[in-house]
Amino acid sequence: MTTVALLEARIEAFSYHGDDADVLHDVDVAAAPGTLTAVLGGSGSGKSTLGRLLAGWLSGGNSGQFRGTLHLRPSALRRDSDRRAAPGDSGPLVFHGTPDDPRINPALWSEHVGFVPQDAAALLSTVGSTVAEELAFGLENRGMDRTLMHAEVLRAADSAGLTALLERDPATLSGGELRRLAVACSAITRPGVLVLDEPLGSLDAAGAASVQAMVRRLLDSGTAVVVLGQAVDELALSATRWLVLDGGTVTAHGTPGELAGSPALLHSGVVLPALADDSPGPRRRTADRHPAPTGPGTENSAPAVLELDRVSFGYPAGKHQTGPGVLGDLSLAVRAGQIVAVTGPNGAGKSTLLRHVNGLLRPLRGAVRIEGKDIAGIPTGRVADRVGLLFQHPRDQLFERTVLREVLFGLDRKSGAAAEAAARAALTAVGLGDQLKAHPHELPASRQRLLALATVLAREPILIALDEPTVGLDRHGLVRLDEALGAAAERGAAVVMVTHEVAYARATAHRVLELRDATLHEV
Amino acid sequence: MPAPLNTPAALNPLTTLAAAVAGAAITTAVSSWAVSLAVALACAALAVRSGVAGRLAPAAAVILAPFWLSLLVMHGLFFPEGRTVLADWGAARVTAEGLRFALDMGARTAAYVMVFLLFSFTVRVPDLVAVMSARRVPPQFGYVLASTLTLAPAISGKLARIRRAQESRGLVLGGGPLRRLAAVRLQMVPLVLSLIEDAGERAQALDARGFNGSRARTSYRDVPDTAAQRAFRAVALLLAAAAVALRLSGQWPQLQGPQLQGFAMLWPLGVPA
Repeated sequence: MTTVALLEARIEAFSYHGDDADVLHDVDVAAAPGTLTAVLGGSGSGKSTLGRLLAGWLSGGNSGQFRGTLHLRPSALRRDSDRRAAPGDSGPLVFHGTPDDPRINPALWSEHVGFVPQDAAALLSTVGSTVAEELAFGLENRGMDRTLMHAEVLRAADSAGLTALLERDPATLSGGELRRLAVACSAITRPGVLVLDEPLGSLDAAGAASVQAMVRRLLDSGTAVVVLGQAVDELALSATRWLVLDGGTVTAHGTPGELAGSPALLHSGVVLPALADDSPGPRRRTADRHPAPTGPGTENSAPAVLELDRVSFGYPAGKHQTGPGVLGDLSLAVRAGQIVAVTGPNGAGKSTLLRHVNGLLRPLRGAVRIEGKDIAGIPTGRVADRVGLLFQHPRDQLFERTVLREVLFGLDRKSGAAAEAAARAALTAVGLGDQLKAHPHELPASRQRLLALATVLAREPILIALDEPTVGLDRHGLVRLDEALGAAAERGAAVVMVTHEVAYARATAHRVLELRDATLHEV
Repeated sequence: MPAPLNTPAALNPLTTLAAAVAGAAITTAVSSWAVSLAVALACAALAVRSGVAGRLAPAAAVILAPFWLSLLVMHGLFFPEGRTVLADWGAARVTAEGLRFALDMGARTAAYVMVFLLFSFTVRVPDLVAVMSARRVPPQFGYVLASTLTLAPAISGKLARIRRAQESRGLVLGGGPLRRLAAVRLQMVPLVLSLIEDAGERAQALDARGFNGSRARTSYRDVPDTAAQRAFRAVALLLAAAAVALRLSGQWPQLQGPQLQGFAMLWPLGVPA
């Protein structure tokens, strides 16, 4: 195997149009065949911008000003028998940040450099009505013979663990399944370099393992893989080389062994593996005041803030093919000051469970009670006075023009004249106090998540329901989340969260349950 | 014979497209409210049989109700050529001719809308894209058509997510029409913003996946087609062309008079050429 890099990027500076500050400066990345490079950085470090630059999505003056070079050497590819003979090296593309800069044809570029954005769903064509058709889309566009295409789709599905889902409508996939599909869609044309933005984000252990296995196979076949992440996860630990990105530039580079525990890594917002267990966590602070009951029937004088009483629910047949009963005879009580975590694999029905607590979904049988009162027949908008729900995808929850307006939405009706003060306080609590005028959709993913959290906190709900709160948060964000949950529990709010991160659940919650076979089990 | 219409998946999309185009063209050529209504009713019956009536009915209502209302106001009340005055309020007068014109236009539009809604709700979009690309139609054209057909469900999905988020933040739905209208206004800005943002992201992803029409495209799906369907398409399009030619040449004696409109009911898809 040759050690010549397939792709070399030298980024002197990159800034978006309308923004004077450089998002990236002085970043060098090289991707050699069969190597895994992990670019680690916290929220707002410029990771996603770097990914898009490498993928050819931002060059050519359309999106911003780029000074530097991109050097693709297709000839450095190992010539596997089934890989198309690549054209020779045409030298580096030099960008000066002027209108005369070279233009990259994304279709041709993507045959050498595949990219999966953080929002994996954005990669899907949306016209494929099955997983198989979605996988085939990129091959159809390249004019592949149908017989060969069927074989390639089967191969890609097998390596992504999607074989059983080939006939499913992509719109019905769970978050983890969707990400595997997006990675497979990008890898199916066998690019020499694959750039993955947060490939393990929101995946459960099984999903993460299947993506890792897939990456391993790609590496074995000679693909150079660049992973952008904000956590030192197993994929990052198996990397050949780390780049630490902080404030838009590389602050450290080397092998994982050299950089683990380095000041640069600690300074960045990267989530370190041991942190979840070491952090004080809201549980430690509140456990003394509110001893955790162990079950719905536990003797405890405090009234349950949330009570799910033998709740059963199933989606209409054919809409979500997850089986007849997503929830069956499920009971749960969460008391004031108590933090309860519900874990379980992707697709177990955790989000479905959470949507029952504020009435977005109504049980087919059983009752949902908030402070002893059945919410049947009460509109969600009224239940929202007492229950705050953080959605799994913050973009589903953000719809205003500025950060401050976002938190103020609906708050004036609840808090009246005190609304603005409450909104500012909540934003300060999550570390967004200085970004009141920013557009929510322009924030990095971690801050979008914190903004969504602020919209929940500002209403001071008696019950806080969180759907995968850790997904997309960097270390600074996790600290804010911990503080916010601790403060909420201290003022007597009940917290119920669903998360696939068992370690985080154990470190944070008084009680950890697993949703399995449509009901809850003690862990 | 083509497969029965209640199993749209077994039909080639071009067959249903040809049927829709022919249905619309012949209805226009015949220019009779009775034929138009018959076509609209036939579509409604087919929608029920195909199990799409539940989605088709509200879509048709949203399009047709305001249109019918405006027709009634424009032509029912203000029809300058109207002679047979049924009621007179000064500037506005109801004439038989005006009502008749409104009925004619309304019925024809209903037939159009029903024909094309039925097509878009029953066609399998990937099949349509596949057959179009097999016939060297630029894939972007197929994509735009397909996206247009899938736009309504995509928008309603996005609206549902925005509504869930707003409800979770204290928006109370329900109440009178004014409150509902206010709620819709609240959802429009985020809807449009997020559609624009998605479109930008999607365009880049489509580009990267090679969807730029620079190469001949192949198709993963093998869309069924039969000699009978090909024959049906040829006949349907010929009938449509003949009907339009007859109408344009002014040689359409049978259906000019109102007394013959009962006859038209016998030939809901147009008189035999």
